[in-house]
Amino acid sequence: MTAEARAVRPALRMRLIPAARVVSVILLLAAAGRLISDRFLTIPNLLNTVQAVALLGIVAVGVLFVTYTGNYADLSVPSIMAFSGIVAVSALRFGIVASLAAGLCAGLAVGVVNGIAVGYARANPIIWTLASGSVVGGAIRWLYSGSQVYPDSQLPAGRIFLALYRASLFGAIPATLCVLALLAVAAHLIMTRAAYGREAKLTGAAYDVARMSGVNVKLIVALAFFASSFAASIGGILLTSLNKVGAAYIGGGYDFLAVTAVVLGGVSLAGGRGGVAGVLGGVLIIGVLRNLLMLLGTDTFVQDIVQGAVFILVVGISSLMLRRAGRDDA
Amino acid sequence: MVHGEWRVTGRFALLAMLAAAVGLAGCSGHGAPVLRGPDEAAVSIGTSDLRSADGQPLLILDDAPLRPPARPPDPKALPEEDALHWWDIEYAGWRGEKAAQPRPPAGGARGKRVVCLRFMDHPYLTAYSNGMRKVADRYGIRLKTMIANNDFNIQSQQVDQAINERADLVIILPVDAIAVVPMLERLYQNGVPVIASNLIPVDEGMKYVLCWTGPDDWGQFRMLARDFARRMNYEGGYCIVRHMPGGSPFFSRTFGMITELKKIAPKMRLLDMQATGLQAERTMQVTSDWITRFGPELKGIVSADDSGAQIGIDEAVAKARREDIVRVAAGNSKVGMDAVKAGTLDAITYQSAEADGALPMKLAGDWLNGKPITRPVYYLPKHIITKEDVSRYMPAQW
Amino acid sequence: MRSLRLFARYRIYLLLAAVCAIMAASAPNFASAFNAGTILKSASAHLLPAAGLTFVLVVGQIDLSFGACMTLGGMLAIGLEPSLGWPGGIAVAVLAGLGIGLANGALVTVARVNSFIATLGTMIIVQAAAKIYCHGGTLAVHDFRLHHWLDGALLTVLCPRALICIGLALALAALLHWTTIGRGFLLVGANPSTAWFAGLRPDRYVAGAFVLCGALSALGGAIFAASACAANPTMGDNSLMLVIAAVIIGGTSMKGGRGSVAASMAAVFMLVALIDGLSCFGAGFEAQLIASGSVMAGVVLYDAFVARRHELRRGARPHLMRSG
Repeated sequence: MTAEARAVRPALRMRLIPAARVVSVILLLAAAGRLISDRFLTIPNLLNTVQAVALLGIVAVGVLFVTYTGNYADLSVPSIMAFSGIVAVSALRFGIVASLAAGLCAGLAVGVVNGIAVGYARANPIIWTLASGSVVGGAIRWLYSGSQVYPDSQLPAGRIFLALYRASLFGAIPATLCVLALLAVAAHLIMTRAAYGREAKLTGAAYDVARMSGVNVKLIVALAFFASSFAASIGGILLTSLNKVGAAYIGGGYDFLAVTAVVLGGVSLAGGRGGVAGVLGGVLIIGVLRNLLMLLGTDTFVQDIVQGAVFILVVGISSLMLRRAGRDDA
Repeated sequence: MVHGEWRVTGRFALLAMLAAAVGLAGCSGHGAPVLRGPDEAAVSIGTSDLRSADGQPLLILDDAPLRPPARPPDPKALPEEDALHWWDIEYAGWRGEKAAQPRPPAGGARGKRVVCLRFMDHPYLTAYSNGMRKVADRYGIRLKTMIANNDFNIQSQQVDQAINERADLVIILPVDAIAVVPMLERLYQNGVPVIASNLIPVDEGMKYVLCWTGPDDWGQFRMLARDFARRMNYEGGYCIVRHMPGGSPFFSRTFGMITELKKIAPKMRLLDMQATGLQAERTMQVTSDWITRFGPELKGIVSADDSGAQIGIDEAVAKARREDIVRVAAGNSKVGMDAVKAGTLDAITYQSAEADGALPMKLAGDWLNGKPITRPVYYLPKHIITKEDVSRYMPAQW
Repeated sequence: MRSLRLFARYRIYLLLAAVCAIMAASAPNFASAFNAGTILKSASAHLLPAAGLTFVLVVGQIDLSFGACMTLGGMLAIGLEPSLGWPGGIAVAVLAGLGIGLANGALVTVARVNSFIATLGTMIIVQAAAKIYCHGGTLAVHDFRLHHWLDGALLTVLCPRALICIGLALALAALLHWTTIGRGFLLVGANPSTAWFAGLRPDRYVAGAFVLCGALSALGGAIFAASACAANPTMGDNSLMLVIAAVIIGGTSMKGGRGSVAASMAAVFMLVALIDGLSCFGAGFEAQLIASGSVMAGVVLYDAFVARRHELRRGARPHLMRSG
């Protein structure tokens, strides 16, 4: 690297702070956990904790793309999850492959519409995804007459569907964690190695600069929503498999929770900064924090307060530190 | 016939008649009285043949007399584990002091407009509305449903709309038992007769309504507590997964259990109770954490919901290989009944969504036809579903 | 072209008129003075938060915690009424909202946390605090006199509650457009560095916007709870999405510098009238979701279309563009 390039490269401190904050918080929580309960650092407990937030991780990896390209959040994620799940369940009589494909396509269709509206028509992402989530939620209730749809366990496809969430690799590693690992690796490779990653970074950080540099910004943003809906569809199918029923209320709450995880993980809402590792870290923080508070025996409402407080503390402190290190757009 | 043959034949005939009688009694559900409209002869509206989707009779009623215990002078001063602390909530409306009620309009039920104000949208309530519609069609009543998205501002607006439309009767499922009171007062002042349903308003509101119908949440959970205690051998630690805050099952499905167990099984200990939003993943994590934290001390888990929350509980229990944990829940969805059949869930309460919707419409139809309403509260029958009788309630209503 | 510009500026009023016209023509019992009064009364709960949120959006920030502020405000007003009376309870509620707004303002101006994130955090905390205050149940008062007064009919379509909320909101609209302070907000949002050079302190205005939003939401929640005689832990949740949608549909831009409290009010009325009309039909919940979603989507797409046209023309010589 030339001397010039080294001079304009951000100081090591600035680059490490987002990663450091996630790692330090996790270490802090782990230490606290060890103090609170000697059963915290056991494999079963850790595995339970991780599996409880695995679906959140899958969805958050998708939302990462949306936030990374500077579009805040995808608020239609809960509806996409419910939609893909209920379509998959109702298509089970055509076989498991057709069912999964149908569910995936249903979710992706919504993602394509989101991508066109926000990427090409430049609609406000928060309001548009709120609106599309609302319309999809209404469509689900209308198409299925307000009822839920059960996978038929008499069909072999139905039994496979119900087993999707509960399967495990080598009998020990849950399938959801494997899916999360695959998605995370794929997302990381796209963001760091592929051209898409570089172009998305520029699009998120400085949209007009990217546009004038010849980056196809509209396609980049559209693909971000496509990726988010892809992850949400997979998460939705797995969540429906867990709940053993396709229903309109599946996936509720995942929109804000995913944004919380993404932001905790150091992805800046201004766009262009962050990575998959951070998102996984943010998801882990949420899971470990809940685990700790449960082991302490706190009341659910107090747990929520602590979660909110930790969230603000982490983001606030790292914001302050970044500002001290010279960056003014945290 | 020869004397001896007659005796044998007679015995067989008697046995056959007994078998038929038992069979018929078994067919009418669990012995609950089937509701017959007393004006049936007069107006020929038969409803006893109506069935809900699970094959059970649609119109069922628990006609046990209402005899609450004496009200303590200050219930709130008593500890929470004392059943009398919850007297005002549990026995709301039982005292039956009513303001003067409007008289039914002329012309009978046919063609009258009834507005149903539902508090939200949910598959249970879809089944509820199906049951209501079956009875409305039978009476020839025009039914309109408005849904309030769990917001009492919208429900207040819809109450005003019902008044504006000059509905002949309103069936209201309150968003909130307390916030509905001014709305009931408004309906009363505008001369609109009201039947409340599913969630019982507090005493102050009950004087404005004709009556309330719905499931007996407190009673059901006391029944469930007795079954639970028996399965736990009257000792051991247990945890409760609570319903969502802001609604009445948050209290009834928690303290109904706690206060009853305090009385009948004082050796059983409440280890923890959490509200998980009834979500499967959250409940799964909470249950795993309970198992980690309490270990062998945890012997039973009570759940306010037998579908999403119960799945979370079952997954966590299966993973921790603690199938010994006794599990009971509030039912009865298909997921819950499947779990009962599979043996992972020991007992659930019975709550027929369609019956919940049909009963107020039946009372409304009869009232519009001129029959006075005699009781302040009408409860649906209580029953605990276990592995032995779960197949009678399939296919599930929702 | 000029008519198109007028259309763009006043589109929310036209949309409101269109929704009312369509509903009046087709929905049974919609077109009546009583129903108009119902809509005004029901919408008044959302007017004050909408006004407050307009200020926040005008300075280029966003506030997600105002729904929780409403809930907490309502809870405090009801919970403290027995000991402090209505004035005391409502005053404490407003103070609490002020405090939450101050916290939000501090996080955004001092700690420089992105407002979406900061208010997401405060929303979680305040919601949980409200639940703890009421132990998960509903708080109530048994004295209905204030309720009868607030919701009684004054003029045919207005009840005192609606009058108070509309009056306050209009006062805030006047504050935003006709006073120096109000124009300060607009300048800070449009161009913070110019505002700095003009002698304003942008941070004060940003913090002030959050404080205003918090206090107004708490006041709105308190008034609503006083009229309902009850407060429950989920009372502000529905308001959150409705008010955010209303303010943006009304034309206030998330980038800041442009906004109108009156337009936000009109958008609130439009959304409430939409739900009212659909209930007149007895339409299912799916109709509410699809209708409100479609309206939001339509408005947002139209906004994007207008912005794109403006962008295409930007840089062109304005004096040659008579129609601009």
